[in-house]
Amino acid sequence: MMPESGSEELALRRKFMLIFRGGAVTRHDLSPSELQAHVEKWYRWSDGLTRQGRASDAGTALDNPGATIRGVERVVTDGPYAESKDLVTGSLVIKAASLEDAIDVARTCPAYEFGGSVEVRPVQG
Amino acid sequence: MNEGVPAASSAELVEDLFRKEYAHLVSALTRVLGPSNIPLAEDVVEDALVSAMNAWRFGLPQDPKAWIIRVARNRAIDIIRREQRQRSFLPEVATTTALTGTIEAALAPAAEGASQLAMMFAVCDPSLNPETHVTGILRWLCGLSPKEIGHAFLADTQTIDRRLHRGRGRLRQLGRLPDVENLPDLATRRDSVLRALYLLFNEGYHGSNPLEPVRPFLCEDALRLTELLLDARTTAHPDVRAMAALFCFDAARLPARLDGHGVFVPLQDQDRNRWDRARIERGLMHLARSATGGHMSRWHLEAGIACEHAVAPSIQQTDWGRIVGFYQILAQQSWSPVVALNLALALAERDGIEEGRRELTALAGEPKLSRYPFYWAARADLERRAGRHTAAREYYQQAIGLARSPAERVSFERRIESLENP
Repeated sequence: MMPESGSEELALRRKFMLIFRGGAVTRHDLSPSELQAHVEKWYRWSDGLTRQGRASDAGTALDNPGATIRGVERVVTDGPYAESKDLVTGSLVIKAASLEDAIDVARTCPAYEFGGSVEVRPVQG
Repeated sequence: MNEGVPAASSAELVEDLFRKEYAHLVSALTRVLGPSNIPLAEDVVEDALVSAMNAWRFGLPQDPKAWIIRVARNRAIDIIRREQRQRSFLPEVATTTALTGTIEAALAPAAEGASQLAMMFAVCDPSLNPETHVTGILRWLCGLSPKEIGHAFLADTQTIDRRLHRGRGRLRQLGRLPDVENLPDLATRRDSVLRALYLLFNEGYHGSNPLEPVRPFLCEDALRLTELLLDARTTAHPDVRAMAALFCFDAARLPARLDGHGVFVPLQDQDRNRWDRARIERGLMHLARSATGGHMSRWHLEAGIACEHAVAPSIQQTDWGRIVGFYQILAQQSWSPVVALNLALALAERDGIEEGRRELTALAGEPKLSRYPFYWAARADLERRAGRHTAAREYYQQAIGLARSPAERVSFERRIESLENP
């Protein structure tokens, strides 16, 4: 699954963006201890990616609320309209050998613990 | 909200930081906004913690505590500005001019101790019962959710919610969390606070949940809150010192209380090398400083007993004479069946097994003890040591039948296995 060391530079030549949706952020029933335990899992995971040379950016966490602008009239509305399970909460660009490899990485992230999902997209260029 | 460059990788969060900041900030906001705004304080802090969880997934900020405080402050100020007309706030925050400065000062680490003390003494109101005191402390000073509190007490979440509701209602009537310096009934409330902290400690030391009877973090919280009382001149009473000493001595034995299988290890079999020496030292310091004022509270006596155990190299080299003395005074001051049981066991060590057996047999009619597994285990232990293994077996069976957790039951079953076959 994971490329062997030594061949990493060569093998991890493609970039993928992991887009995180829903999950713990959209839940309002987690206790302080549960939140701390969850974030500890996340940064152990992202730290592991850095050590494997897979991290390509520092990750971006998105806060609420925001605004959406749409149409030729450029109408501004409050916040993203997505249902909470579809709400984008952050993203991370990683290096991987292939889409399959990137999916394997995405499957190991803690997003699913509280019902989150991850979209994996190749970065162009 | 991102701090830009994350802190060095593999940074670790302070243990229980989220719980501790919940307690700090809910207390601080309640103190500055007035107790009628506890729900608002809870929401603001929950939001700040969710924000922290989201933002820190890819790396920790340089100063996580300051980060949470800043987010909570901004969020509180936003809400107060927005809702100033609909809600009633204390006069300090009712005018926008001073708002930022007032909130900033209220949430600053320098005010943390004063806020938590004010909250603790308000929660331990004499008109509320001890269960409500402990529940309020677990919620607002330890940062446990109602579900987690219910898990500790083996109570359903609705029961816990009802207690918290009662607590909030009483706090609202107070109108404001008074600083401990200004409490007219400080001594009464201090006694309630100490009793609640004692219950909290016991819930960690030998709690009601059979699947997890030992939860050290509750002991740690009880000790942290007790030491908070010692940091303030008004609340640093000799009784509080004595309780801090008691908690230190008992907490020092936590690493040896359960074996690798989660089974209780009796005192005589505990590996004393695993006791926490630094804790014992701290207990001795507290105990020495508790000896002022000339009166011996229940906490002084219990600390004295715990101290004798903590400093003894073995059961045989324990000063049982002193322990008997402490239990005798305790029995005079506030007799209880469990005190009588422990006195009998100390007498068995000081004066011999037969003396202990006589005392224990005399207690057989106590209803509370007849349902207490450790009473039967104590009788069994003495029978075993006297060589009467058949009687010992019978009493161990009684203890097993009454055991409240696997940790207790297996502990008694092991002692049966050590008996000679009938």
